[in-house]
Amino acid sequence: MKRRINPLGRDLLLALLFFAVLLFLPPLLRAAFGRASVSYLSLGINALVLATLALSWDLLARTGQLSLAHAAFTGAGAYSTAILLRMADVPLWLGIPLGGVVAALLALALGSVTLRLYGIYFAIATLAFTEVLKTVVQELPTKIAGGAPGMNVTALFRPALAPGMERWELAFVRNQGYFWVYAALLLVAVVISVFIQRSRLRSAFTAIRTNELVAGVMGVNPARLKLLAFVLSSFVAGTLGAVEAHRLGSVSPDGAFAVSTTVLALVTPIFGGLYTTVGPILGALVLAGLEETLKRTFADGYLIGYGIVLVASILFMPRGLVGLLSGVARRLRRHGGNLEGGMSSARAIADEPFTAPEETP
Amino acid sequence: MSAAPLLSVTGLSKSFGGLRAVHDVNFQVFPGEIFAIIGPNGAGKTTTLNLVSGLLAPSAGSVALAGQDLTKLPSHKRCHLGLGRAFQVVQPFPEMTVLENVLVGAQFGSPNVSAAEANRRAEVALERSGLAALRDQPVEDLNLLQEKRLEIARALATKPQVLLLDEVMAGLRPAEARLAVELVRAVRAEGVTVVFIEHVMPVVRDLADRVLVMDHGSELALGTYAEVTANRMVIEAYLGKEEDEAEDGL
Amino acid sequence: MDLSLLPQALVSGVLAAGLYALVSVGLALAIGVIGIVNFAHGEFFMVGAFLAYQLFVSFGFDPLLSLLFVAPALFVIGAIIYLSSIRFVLKAPELNQMLLTFGVGIILQNLALLIWGGDPRTIARVPYRAIGYKLGSISVGLVPLGSFVISLILVAALYWMLARTPLGRGMRAVAQNRTGAGLVGLEVNRIYLIAFAMSALLAGMGGVMIAVIQSPTPTIGFGFTLKAFAIVVLAGLGNIRGITIAAIVVALSESLVATMVPNGDSLRNAVFFAIIFVALVARSRRAF
Repeated sequence: MKRRINPLGRDLLLALLFFAVLLFLPPLLRAAFGRASVSYLSLGINALVLATLALSWDLLARTGQLSLAHAAFTGAGAYSTAILLRMADVPLWLGIPLGGVVAALLALALGSVTLRLYGIYFAIATLAFTEVLKTVVQELPTKIAGGAPGMNVTALFRPALAPGMERWELAFVRNQGYFWVYAALLLVAVVISVFIQRSRLRSAFTAIRTNELVAGVMGVNPARLKLLAFVLSSFVAGTLGAVEAHRLGSVSPDGAFAVSTTVLALVTPIFGGLYTTVGPILGALVLAGLEETLKRTFADGYLIGYGIVLVASILFMPRGLVGLLSGVARRLRRHGGNLEGGMSSARAIADEPFTAPEETP
Repeated sequence: MSAAPLLSVTGLSKSFGGLRAVHDVNFQVFPGEIFAIIGPNGAGKTTTLNLVSGLLAPSAGSVALAGQDLTKLPSHKRCHLGLGRAFQVVQPFPEMTVLENVLVGAQFGSPNVSAAEANRRAEVALERSGLAALRDQPVEDLNLLQEKRLEIARALATKPQVLLLDEVMAGLRPAEARLAVELVRAVRAEGVTVVFIEHVMPVVRDLADRVLVMDHGSELALGTYAEVTANRMVIEAYLGKEEDEAEDGL
Repeated sequence: MDLSLLPQALVSGVLAAGLYALVSVGLALAIGVIGIVNFAHGEFFMVGAFLAYQLFVSFGFDPLLSLLFVAPALFVIGAIIYLSSIRFVLKAPELNQMLLTFGVGIILQNLALLIWGGDPRTIARVPYRAIGYKLGSISVGLVPLGSFVISLILVAALYWMLARTPLGRGMRAVAQNRTGAGLVGLEVNRIYLIAFAMSALLAGMGGVMIAVIQSPTPTIGFGFTLKAFAIVVLAGLGNIRGITIAAIVVALSESLVATMVPNGDSLRNAVFFAIIFVALVARSRRAF
């Protein structure tokens, strides 16, 4: 066998390089754009949040569990850190990861009872779980969780206005802080994802997704690995929700458990390319830019863009941007730049499965 | 047959609703044996294998491997203990290459396999089943014979003591079936015990040390090929099959 | 717990069950006949409500009159959605189907948000809104009673159509035999189209009534999708006949929790979701 570069090492190196670029991005933006860099950073933060959310959803989806409970995990993370802070004065640096832990424990409980639910049934059950959790949180004593209106949460970054500092610089420092925190969280998600993709877990996850019964007969333990995916995914989502709570300054049942969070979590990887590390990130970069435009155009109904992207992805691009790009690359190589064939009919593509249908042997 | 049985099936039954798919099936398979299960369609053969490999929970009865009771174990634990399974309806994992398919069995078939050892087992299984040249093909590109081989290769990669084969010859041309027969012999020669379901009688005659005949979910006869084919009830069951095909499995 | 509230809770529950049955039976039709689990179903309901509202505001139409306009409108909307999207994923894995209808639902909901904004809208000035009857300790509003009766008539009409008409027989044949043996492909496609459009129509009728009973916002649809799922799952996926009973069970438990449990009104929705969750998990345990 040829001696090749260790693919895991190469991917980790790429992830670190990507992170390094993100680290230097804020000061570069500031140097280049001055005052305007504040809103560029806001956009960057949105992209990072979306990428992390999408990647964490994808981790779970790799085992065939298409969850509609992602809002439950981010919400659980947000409320955990808020309640810990309020009731026990737990510092933020501890409360935020604890938010991830609480979300993971919750996922473990949810995952254990939904082990034998598949496809549509799994999706509906996870959605129902989210709504029940939201009601439970809303009904907690107001002293603990603030009831329906929610409660205020301390900000993670509260830079003080130093003498000689302009107002926008203050906003910049704050945004820069959040940008870095989210970049670090995305790095965590990417590292988890890369480890899965470059270990035997990848084939186990794919086997479970495409044919769980046969995977079991081949010695794969589907229950344990499905729960593992649940825990990893929800830990990332819960931590993300916790940071978001501190950035937004408040939590409320309607905000923390919003269906739109779940929608974003699943549309982004479908659009970018499912079951890959790059796909969800790529999807987030494009969609975050799109969202900015959409929000400016339609204040109330900006999610319509996501609906259109979702429908169009399924009809015309079921393997997402990644599939589209690699397909184009392959065709370019094969036909020497001649893009013949192009897009086949929507019908043929729409039939291509995200996951193979459940089969019984 | 004085040795201890490797695989023991005792009083195995399975009902789906009111339908008795398998009823009180008993048999023992000894180390190194090639054991055939035959019977008309709907006789409960595949259900029996599903019960043995843990895809279904039995309504009654037990399954044991080398004296260890498997009845309560999930299918992956049974695999770790040495039960390999090839399916009748070929079920390769899509989205994977031939090698990746076999690697699943090699990596997870026994607990704590090192990556290097898993790779080696996968290569051996591919070599063994004549798929080495196709290792990097997507499974979507395989023909039926190759898919059947992949089923066997994947099961072999789990390092089974007992290999359960469900109609691996079905749909093959005679020349292909002969190759498959050779493959099963070679596998046995390496010390793997084989239990197989088969419809093609010449294959059963050539391969099987002993034959279990099932009909309507129950065992009808058990013995050597010559013994069971001389059995009057077996002959009736097979001839009767032509007449009341519509009632198969009821 | 105040037991004197029990009769009122039971009556309110049964009355609500009519509307729930109407919405769910449409979803069950789509699932049973076409095999499509439609996450956009509640949006048809919402669209019906807002069309009725718009007809009232623009032309002063009484909601009862609006029913006659909303019905064909929803039928057409359903048909357009079927022809432009659903049709292409009929043979796709069910998750593609689910995600597609999810996307259609998001589009409809946000389209409504763009048109009508996020505020609750109500058809306030209908003469019969305030009319109610009292029977001992039980009071019944004319509007809930009327919506119950109209819903029952529509559900009964659907059952009759399925049982007695050639179209209904066709639908049952397709539902039982998805490969369509003995049915011409073209005919199957036509039946799918009609079943989906009818499913939208039934939900839209329910929407017209909710516009009088409550003050809906454009986001009301998703909740009703889930309520309909709860009922359909309880009845058994694709079982159209069981819908009525399941609707009564679900509506009664909602009404009982809302009136009998302290602070129960805010738990209303959780009841539904708890029912769906428990029903699904229990079913999956039994399956092995």
